[in-house]
Amino acid sequence: MPAIAATGLSKSFQVKVRDSGLGGALRALFRPKYREVKAVTDVSFAIEPGEIVAFLGPNGAGKTTTLKMLAGLLYPTRGSVEVVGFNPWTGGSAFKRRITLVLGQRQQLVWDLPPIETFTLNRAIYDIPDADFKERLDELTELLDLGAVLDKPVRQLSLGERMKCELAAALLHRPSVLFLDEPTLGLDVTAQEAIRRFLLSYRDRHGATILLTSHYMQDVTALASRVLMINRGRLLYDGALEALVAKIAQAKRLEIVLQREVGEEVLARFGEVKSHRFPNAVLETPREHAAAASARLLAELPIADISITDPPIEEVIQRAFALGSENGDS
Amino acid sequence: MTAAARVWARRYGALMRNAWMVDLQYRASIVLWVLWGVMEPAIALGIWWSIAGTGAVGGYTRTDFARYFFALTLVNQLTIAWDSWYLDRWIREGDLNFKLPRPLHPVHEAIADNIAYKARSAGTLLLIWVVVSLVWPVVRLPFAPKTFAITAVAVVLAAMLRFLISFTTGLMAFWTTRATSIMELHAGISLFLAGRIAPLSLLPPVVAGVASWLWFPYMLSFPVTVLTGAVHGPALWAGFRGQLIWIGIWLFACRTAWRAGIKRYGAAGG
Repeated sequence: MPAIAATGLSKSFQVKVRDSGLGGALRALFRPKYREVKAVTDVSFAIEPGEIVAFLGPNGAGKTTTLKMLAGLLYPTRGSVEVVGFNPWTGGSAFKRRITLVLGQRQQLVWDLPPIETFTLNRAIYDIPDADFKERLDELTELLDLGAVLDKPVRQLSLGERMKCELAAALLHRPSVLFLDEPTLGLDVTAQEAIRRFLLSYRDRHGATILLTSHYMQDVTALASRVLMINRGRLLYDGALEALVAKIAQAKRLEIVLQREVGEEVLARFGEVKSHRFPNAVLETPREHAAAASARLLAELPIADISITDPPIEEVIQRAFALGSENGDS
Repeated sequence: MTAAARVWARRYGALMRNAWMVDLQYRASIVLWVLWGVMEPAIALGIWWSIAGTGAVGGYTRTDFARYFFALTLVNQLTIAWDSWYLDRWIREGDLNFKLPRPLHPVHEAIADNIAYKARSAGTLLLIWVVVSLVWPVVRLPFAPKTFAITAVAVVLAAMLRFLISFTTGLMAFWTTRATSIMELHAGISLFLAGRIAPLSLLPPVVAGVASWLWFPYMLSFPVTVLTGAVHGPALWAGFRGQLIWIGIWLFACRTAWRAGIKRYGAAGG
């Protein structure tokens, strides 16, 4: 049985529309006009226990709305959801004890108190036995390196420290499904790494299922075995990231280091010049010609070094969204 | 104690402990809020004190006014509820996003917060009253354990009523961005109809008549007059009946608004 199953999930909001100026404001007062905004349209997927799946999509694509529906925060307009065997809107406390929702921009830590006080509050709210609480807190403190910050008021913590404490507070009841919205937003590279390592280790230790959204492709490549690509509320792709890249990225990159300068028109004979600044140059060629082009480069030009790579993942994703939008609009 | 009762006791204990610890971070603001709570009845008392200088007004002597407004200050602190402001923020700024996925209805956090706030601010005011009554015998109430016990019941019911009104009004934030304005309007009306500016018996009969058909007298005026010993016999039972009826009506409104509102919730903030 999948840990998370969404079928035909849709959510639309009624948004008040108002003409500009005082007249518009007055008209809106007496005769309000509404417009229906479709945030999510007919989204279906299933996630198996222990899977880590990433939601990809630009701002306003419907990622967070979907996450909130799965966590039972928002009522869908249509469709159904089952999370660890529960309907999120009728599952009550039994459901809520099995999940956690972490929103990068909204924090549950009590701002004026040290994090340990929020943890103690959660122990009471989730009714965690003392021995379990101590064991879990020790584990989280070790994995997230929280020893030095537990007793400092939250307002004095750095963003990275706060996010780590936020995760600890969200995981003390040991949920089996984690909904994470931008868990690494605004963090420096080291803190991002720490969070990623922690999430992998939490999944491995407790077999948890994780669904996350992120703007950082590193989060996605390091954590997720599968991606759900969503744009304008519609699911465009569901599958492995590598398969998406292979499908979309029809080109390979040849990154070369030259021993002496050559003109751009010379480089252009081997592929499309993406950048050229002596001694470095980046060329792009169709995937099937990459091997032949690199052999010719080595034979004909003074090459100090060469490597063949896929285009940056961000570019691939952008291209995928562009293609998806074209298909969606047509 | 059963296992379930122990869980609830621990939850309420933890919520109130956190509320007090947050309060301790803002000691200066506590003093300001207590001063604010004293200011309005102090001004009203000053005015009535001067009016009653030439003789009793509507049966109220200077001493009666002093006792009335001291009792009003204490009962007000014991029953006031700020929940519409909190709920408005929870809903509009998305704080409900992390309160809703927890296995504890957000109303319990609000109730625990109220108990913590009231215990603290009313405790401070009671202390002030005791100190003042040492030097100003006028405000001393006759020691009457039975009256105090009946007052305690009336105060608890008034606190429940005011909490439900404030919470329900706060829930209007699911529909409008002006929920706190509705509460401000309510507070303005209660100035007259709940007995904040003057004892209800001094109001023109028309106003007192309107008030008697609404919940306002049961929020403040009734428990205050119970404490000062002005209500006896059938009027006492009528007062309790009125409190219970209005608690029932507002409880129904609160549950209906919650159920409808939560389906509309836009989960703001990310």
